[in-house]
Amino acid sequence: MENVGHGGKEIVERVMPKDAAIKRLKELKAAKAKELPVRLQIATEVIDLAYGYFTPLEGFMTKADVESVCKNMRLADGKTVWSIPIVFDISEEELKAKDIKVYDEVLLTYNGNPLAIFDITDIFTYDKKEIAMMVYGTTEEKHPGVKRTYNYKDKFLGGKITLLNPPKINPVFEPFFIPPLEMRKRFKEKGWQRIVAHQTRNVPHTGHEWLMKGAWLQAYGELPIEKPIVGVLVNAIIGEKREGDYIDEAIILSHDMLRKAGYFGDHNHMTSLTFWDMRYAGPREAVFHAALRTNLGLTHHMFGRDHAGVGTYYGPYDAHHLLMSVQKDLQITPTFSMNWLFCPHCGEVTNEGICNHKDEWQKYSGTLIRSIIIDGVKPPRLIMRPEVFDVVMECAEKYGNGSPFVTKEYLEKRTPVFTIEPLG
Amino acid sequence: MAETYPINIWINEERFEKLQAAGLAGLAKEKMAGLKVLAIPNTAEQRDKILKLFPMAKFDSATTKSIELLPREVKDRIFDLVIKKKSLDVMDEFIKSQTKQK
Repeated sequence: MENVGHGGKEIVERVMPKDAAIKRLKELKAAKAKELPVRLQIATEVIDLAYGYFTPLEGFMTKADVESVCKNMRLADGKTVWSIPIVFDISEEELKAKDIKVYDEVLLTYNGNPLAIFDITDIFTYDKKEIAMMVYGTTEEKHPGVKRTYNYKDKFLGGKITLLNPPKINPVFEPFFIPPLEMRKRFKEKGWQRIVAHQTRNVPHTGHEWLMKGAWLQAYGELPIEKPIVGVLVNAIIGEKREGDYIDEAIILSHDMLRKAGYFGDHNHMTSLTFWDMRYAGPREAVFHAALRTNLGLTHHMFGRDHAGVGTYYGPYDAHHLLMSVQKDLQITPTFSMNWLFCPHCGEVTNEGICNHKDEWQKYSGTLIRSIIIDGVKPPRLIMRPEVFDVVMECAEKYGNGSPFVTKEYLEKRTPVFTIEPLG
Repeated sequence: MAETYPINIWINEERFEKLQAAGLAGLAKEKMAGLKVLAIPNTAEQRDKILKLFPMAKFDSATTKSIELLPREVKDRIFDLVIKKKSLDVMDEFIKSQTKQK
């Protein structure tokens, strides 16, 4: 197997070639196949499934998988580590109105256009409180992942997905959508033997830059240094936005600017995106990220403090502990990162595990950086690179109605990251 | 004022020149790698009024212990008041002016 993904399974794209898809669509229409419109979250997960981001999954989970994932953090095969249920929810009313049954072949549509074929093999209910408790460790609705779970409709459909109509990735984002098989080709072309993932939903300050540089050094380890063979892949999570988040354009372009402006280079840095609505599941989300990045062809994954956490639900190193507990069943090596900070005594960005001027440390705070950006004040280059700040402010003007942060106006008027166009 | 809940106004060159002209440059403190900040003190009562007047703002109790996410134009008005009064004790007057406007 050339392209081995998570769980030791080969990555296979479930994307029908265009001519075959047009023909198949005509057949489905002629046969009056049942049609189901889907919302953005489901559409993005259909795309992820079809391109192999979620390998070994080939479709939405059946009850057996959901149960096993919740209770054992493994798929129903009992072996493959999987931490977050990937489910297709539907209301009882919709189920009845569309007369959907097991073994139906349903045409999924998004914004009125054909998206994928869904071969339904299971229709089931599941206790949402149990999902919340097992996946998020809490049943409190104020946890955003729990809230999402409770908002699911009452029934779930399981079965395989075949993409009929690939998404058109809209400008700004297009060069950064690099599905697993293509990503692996790019890594080969670059000659990278080890690649470490940097998960992000932020614009980078120098603390993030040094997280990447530190992880790059960790990943390099004992490899020969005559020519560059280790890279950092920034993999931005692009999904549901909340007011106050950085706008997607600023996130992706500012990370790429670190390479363009020479803080990294083509020889060791690449920026990409994955469509996914963050669940903020902390440790379980970290395990999910490990699987996702394995499929993208990465060998190492950086995990900092409170990875993918929210509020005070998880301890700062819970994710590290959970990853260590399943390490033997993962095909990616975690690199655990300590915090980077600015030390005025050293006059440089340093690491809490290295510097001993504890009383003088100036720690990075996302809120503080946002406060500086809101004021339109260019931070010192030791805190944020001037080129990064400039591109963030440029994105604010071009895409954010003057703000680098998500506003109601941005949510209403933004160009979607992808569109599904008519097929044919 | 035993406990204060500051509003951080970050100082660029333009703001620093105004502070210098008003003889207040010494009030700006270094916060991050040489970047200066003017911390405008608020009492708990003033903090609550500000958060009510500007719902997009929040008090960051976890990390910075300051009132954050105020729009730039709001901070500009507070800063202008500091320069005008040559004092950091401006929040009552600022809140009063905003309450009148609303």
